[in-house]
Amino acid sequence: MSILLPAGMNGAAFDRALGDFRRAIGDPWVLSGEEDRQTYIDPYAMGDGLDHDCSAILAPGSVEEVQAIIRIANQHKTPLWPVSRGKNLGYGAASPKEKGNLILDLSRMNRILDVNEKQASCLIEPGVGYFDLFRHLRERNLPLWMSVPGNSWGSVIGNALDRGIGYTPYGDHCETLCGLEVVLPDGSLLRTGMGAMMGAKGWQSYKYGYGPGWDQMFMQSNLGVVVKAGLWLQPEPEMTAKITLALPRFDDAGWALDILCDLRRRDIIQHNIVFGSPVRAASTMSQRADWYTGPGALPDSISEQMMAKLGLGWWNAKISLFGDEGSVMAQVALIRRLFEPRLGGPLQFEVWKRGEPLEKSATGIPTTMGLQSVNWYGGRGGHLSFAPVLPQDGDMALAYAKKIKAYYEEVGQDYYASFTIGRRHINNVSLILYNRDEPEAVTRVDKLYRHLLKEAAASGFGEYRGHISYMDEVAATYDFADGALARLNSRVKAALDPNNILAPGRNGIGSRTHGGDRT
Amino acid sequence: MIRILAFVLGLILALALIAMPADAQGPAAPKSVNATPIATTALGAISYGAQSANPGEKLFGRKCAFCHIGPSTGKFMLARRVPKGQAELPDRRDLTADYVKAVVRNGLVNMPTFTRVELTDRELAQVADWLARKGRK
Repeated sequence: MSILLPAGMNGAAFDRALGDFRRAIGDPWVLSGEEDRQTYIDPYAMGDGLDHDCSAILAPGSVEEVQAIIRIANQHKTPLWPVSRGKNLGYGAASPKEKGNLILDLSRMNRILDVNEKQASCLIEPGVGYFDLFRHLRERNLPLWMSVPGNSWGSVIGNALDRGIGYTPYGDHCETLCGLEVVLPDGSLLRTGMGAMMGAKGWQSYKYGYGPGWDQMFMQSNLGVVVKAGLWLQPEPEMTAKITLALPRFDDAGWALDILCDLRRRDIIQHNIVFGSPVRAASTMSQRADWYTGPGALPDSISEQMMAKLGLGWWNAKISLFGDEGSVMAQVALIRRLFEPRLGGPLQFEVWKRGEPLEKSATGIPTTMGLQSVNWYGGRGGHLSFAPVLPQDGDMALAYAKKIKAYYEEVGQDYYASFTIGRRHINNVSLILYNRDEPEAVTRVDKLYRHLLKEAAASGFGEYRGHISYMDEVAATYDFADGALARLNSRVKAALDPNNILAPGRNGIGSRTHGGDRT
Repeated sequence: MIRILAFVLGLILALALIAMPADAQGPAAPKSVNATPIATTALGAISYGAQSANPGEKLFGRKCAFCHIGPSTGKFMLARRVPKGQAELPDRRDLTADYVKAVVRNGLVNMPTFTRVELTDRELAQVADWLARKGRK
């Protein structure tokens, strides 16, 4: 059986640490065998995933156990990689950035501690998944709605902390958190916002508390382990209306982005709008071989066949409206007025009224349907996402997308893109699908990602979220004043976590050149 | 009358799902030639087994159904390679408990592994036994 040691540890020291962890949280919840470790390998790893293998897994069941683990980790200098549920698919899943870390799996801490119907908020633990919270709300018939990400298998807190998004008015997930409970790298416990007050009544009511607000410090970072979080939920509206706008030409992205961004800035459309190319839709319902078996990138003529057969446009934007009947119908009329002359036909919205079956509504219903896309090339599939932030300028976004499409074609990768329209930005997401067991595909994907990162940075566009294999590279593109942000991050990290025991290298903070040793 | 209405409503819903463009942001149904008819909605899949007295079925509902029941990934992928009408795991005739355990712990093609933290050995045995017995009925 192969054993992997954390960076800088010998076998005897690692055994002593594991012994202490076992005494603290119980033998069954310290997993160090190879069979258990392989269940934590990223299912979308590029290749076998062993370059991000862990040395063991610790699965605490309570806040006190998390604190005990962190204190022991400081004594033994064992690096921990905390995950809420470990389903960050496309970004490394549960795997640590640095080979040999121990995964701190918080899945067992999965209680929904409180749901406040009147104030539309809840308090949950990191092991609570989207399906769990959705079931909880539906079983109790509570008139509270959630936002869900494309892959809803993961943790509500985990997704929000990595700044994941959904497609309802509560879709900026990090913005819906209100009040965190955090175990700091020295094992002490902190509550942010109003929770900093003993016996506070408004922990889930006001985010900022008094003085500096530290909540953002625990997002996309390694400065604490979030063990509870408040979350705002959407009061069920009276009516929703939804439609998918199919824009027939690639170049339509320019004008359509400008209109949709304007509607988003004015809060007429209150959610993150997604705007996808044909492969995005086709990959959730078919495989590449159903359309094309030739080499290189999928030709445009095939994309056009997909569009014709599946009733798609080049870009397909799903739009939903939420509110009382009067405002929803007024917004429907406005969108029809803006788009019908350009698209040359009437737009049919699907309207839901309170009391009708929820499927008809625009609420977030958790799903793993989007994961089907990794089956595109066949074999064991995976996907990687590159999603730089652009300002809301249709011409600029279209010019950028054209450049990226040409590069996909040059390297022979099927073009799969989407635009996500946020409150003031556009993410031009490049999704990169691959068969992880095909070495030439893995090489192509790596080359493509590195090129996209370089190209975007040169244009002034930075990536919003990082895969474990590229965290240092993305961090390096944030280079104002010779990397002032990275220096600040390092100083904070060194002050709070002098032993660098929490997720060394996450988002490029506290990276070390040396991974684990295999014996 | 009510039954007829419910049937018509169900049919409309099923058609609405089929007509909805598939998108990673929401549940949708396939239009590919390999698609099997949809018996369960996305909501039905999420509440699958909730009322069951069988702990294996209940666990299957919580841990597996969101991919393997109704309009979702596991079902669509399996529809490409198992006999017609068996794309949802409870309809499979060929599952043994040991096979289910091996796939859950090792993964299979695009099915990810389940850890012993997410699904303990005891829980996995309950799911696997239920699936194997169900297939023999």
